[in-house]
Amino acid sequence: MGYGNYRDPFVGRRPDHVVGAGEKLELMFVVLPGESRDIDVAIDLVGEGAEVSLKGLYLCGGEERVNFRILMHHRAGGCVSHQLFNGIAGGSSRVTFDGRIIVAPDAQQTEAYQENHNIVLSEGAHVETTPQLEIYADDVKCSHGATTGRLDEDALFYMRTRGVPEAEAKVLQMISFLAAVTPEDRKEEVEKAVNQIV
Amino acid sequence: MSDSEKVIQEFTSGEYKEGFVTDVEQEFVPKGLNEDIIRTISRLKEEPDWLLEFRLDAFRKWQAMEMPRWPHLDLPEIDFQDIIYYAAPKKDKDRPKEIDPKLAETFEKLGIPLKERDVLAGVVAVDAVFDSVSVTTTFRKTLAEKGIIFCSFSEAVKEHPDLVRKYLATVVPSGDNYFAALNSAVFSDGSFCYIPKGVRCPMDLSSYFRINAKGTGQFERTLIVADEGSFVSYMEGCTAPMRDEQQICKGDGAHLSWTQVETGSAITWKYPSTILKGDNTASEFYSVAVTNNFQQADTGTKMVHLGRNTKSRIVSKGISAGRSQNSYRGLVRMGAGAKNARNYSQCDSLLIGSRCGAHTFPVIRSDNPTAIVEHEATTSKISEDQLFYCNQRGIGPEEAVGLIVNGYAREVLSRLPMEFAVEAQKLLQVSLEGSVG
Repeated sequence: MGYGNYRDPFVGRRPDHVVGAGEKLELMFVVLPGESRDIDVAIDLVGEGAEVSLKGLYLCGGEERVNFRILMHHRAGGCVSHQLFNGIAGGSSRVTFDGRIIVAPDAQQTEAYQENHNIVLSEGAHVETTPQLEIYADDVKCSHGATTGRLDEDALFYMRTRGVPEAEAKVLQMISFLAAVTPEDRKEEVEKAVNQIV
Repeated sequence: MSDSEKVIQEFTSGEYKEGFVTDVEQEFVPKGLNEDIIRTISRLKEEPDWLLEFRLDAFRKWQAMEMPRWPHLDLPEIDFQDIIYYAAPKKDKDRPKEIDPKLAETFEKLGIPLKERDVLAGVVAVDAVFDSVSVTTTFRKTLAEKGIIFCSFSEAVKEHPDLVRKYLATVVPSGDNYFAALNSAVFSDGSFCYIPKGVRCPMDLSSYFRINAKGTGQFERTLIVADEGSFVSYMEGCTAPMRDEQQICKGDGAHLSWTQVETGSAITWKYPSTILKGDNTASEFYSVAVTNNFQQADTGTKMVHLGRNTKSRIVSKGISAGRSQNSYRGLVRMGAGAKNARNYSQCDSLLIGSRCGAHTFPVIRSDNPTAIVEHEATTSKISEDQLFYCNQRGIGPEEAVGLIVNGYAREVLSRLPMEFAVEAQKLLQVSLEGSVG
C-alpha cells in the first residue's frame, strides 16, 4: 500500500542512442510468436534537424511477455521523431507499452509523434499501454494516440459475404493491421506467423 | 519584444483574481492531527458512532502510509500537523435561517447563483460549500418530488444514515491511497446525491467549493449514487486549494456525466473516479483545467469498466500559461467481464508562453478481447497566424487570446448550462488576464 517507493523509470535513464544535428536514425523491432522480450530504448535528440523513426511489431499467441519501454528525449529544437508500434496479443500473453516523449525547455519547433495500436485476440491476453507526453516548450507539434481493440467485425463480415473463409479473413485483416510496421524483407515471415496464431 | 509577446506576458503574469478573503467569524479546531482532533470534528458535527469509527479506522490506516511521489508536481513537504482541519462560519444567532450577507456576497463575487430567484428558472441546483459547512442547497424541494436526494454530506448522515452507510467508501475504500485515508479521517463536508431507480435527474447538479479560512484545508467528500437506469449530470467548480474525494456508485443502466472547470489552486491534484459496475452503464468526464503563473495541476480521471456494454468518454482540455505545469493523468481499465465495453479519451493541451509545461500520462489496461479503448492527445500553442488573423480583423490581441482559448475549450464549456458557461468563460478570463479584469 502507498506509493512511497514509486520510482519513475525514465528519470535518470542514460541514452542508448544520441542523434546529433542533421543525423537520421531508424530502428525497427519485430517480436514474433514464442519470443518474450524486453525492449528498452532511450534516444536523445541533441542537434537541430535530427530525425528519428521507430517502428515496432509484436505478435503473441501463447504465454509471451513482451515489454516495450521507449524514451524519446528532444533536447534540441528543430528535431522530428515518429514512433509507430502495432501488435496483436492472443493466448495468455501479457504486453506492455510504456512510452514517453520529453521535450526540453527551449527545444522549440519540435515535432514528435507516438502511436501504439493493439488488438486483443483472446480472453486471457492482457495489454497495458501508457503513452506519455512531457512538454516544456510551447512551439511544438506533439501528439500521441493509443488504441486497444478487436478485429473489425464489419470488415470480417464483408469478406465472408465475398466468399472468403473466416480464418482467412482474420489473417488478411491482421496482416494489413501489421503492414505499416512490417519490414519489407520480413513480410513472409510475419505472414507465416499470423497464420500460425489464428 | 514584439506586441504579441508582450500581450502574452501580461496575460500570464496576472495575479490570481479569485484570491480575496472574506472576513467572517469562524469556528476552528486547534491545528494539528491526532485522534482527539478527529473525535472533536465528529462531535462538532454531531455524528453517529459508526462514522467516528470509520474516521478513526481511516486515520490509523493513514498513519501507516507514505506520501505518494508519482505526481508530476513540485511539492513542498506538507506538514500535516500545521493544518487546521475544521473551520465553520459562526452562525449569526438573530437570523439563524438566513444566509450570512457576507457569505452571500462572497458567492456573488464568484458569480454563483445561490438564491433561487437569481437563477434562470429551474436549471441548476447548487450545493454551495463555504469552508466546512454547506450553506444552502437550492432546489431541494423540486428534487425531492422525484425522490432525488441532494444535500450536504452531514445532512445526509443525519437524515439518510442507512444510504450513506451502505455506499460510503464502496468505490474508493478508506485505505485505497494516502489522501483517501486522510480524507476519510478528517472530511468536513461535501455533497451527497442519490438518484433512485429509473429516474432522470431533471436538472444539472452542481457543487461549488471555496476555501476561505487561511490555513484550513477543505476536505470534501462527494458521494453520488446513481441507481438502476437513472441519469445524472454533475458539475463541480473550485477556486481554492483543495483535497477532495469523489465517489460515484452506479447501478445497471445508469448514466453519469461529470463536468469540471479548474482554475483555482496553487497545486491541484485530483482524479474523480467512476466504476462502471452495472451492465450498460455510461459515464462521461469533461474537464477544463487552466494553470497560470506558478500553478501546478495534476488532474484526470479513472474509468474502471467492470460491467458489459459499459461506455465512457473523457474529454480533457488543459491550458497552461506563465510558468505553470499542467498534467493529465488517467486510467482506463477494461476488466475481464467488460464485454463490448468502449472508451474514448481525448486530451488536448494548449500552451501560452514558452516557460510553461503540458504533460499527458494516460494508462490503458485491457483484459477483454471485445473491449475497445481509444486515446489521443495533442499539444499546441496559440499560433502567430491565429493572432494575426484576429488583429487584422480589428480584434485586439488580448481579446483574441480570450477568443481562441474559449474556442479551444468550447467542447467542454458547451456541456455546461448557460449561466455556468458564462461563469466559466469569466473564470477563464480572470485566470488568464493580467491588466483587464
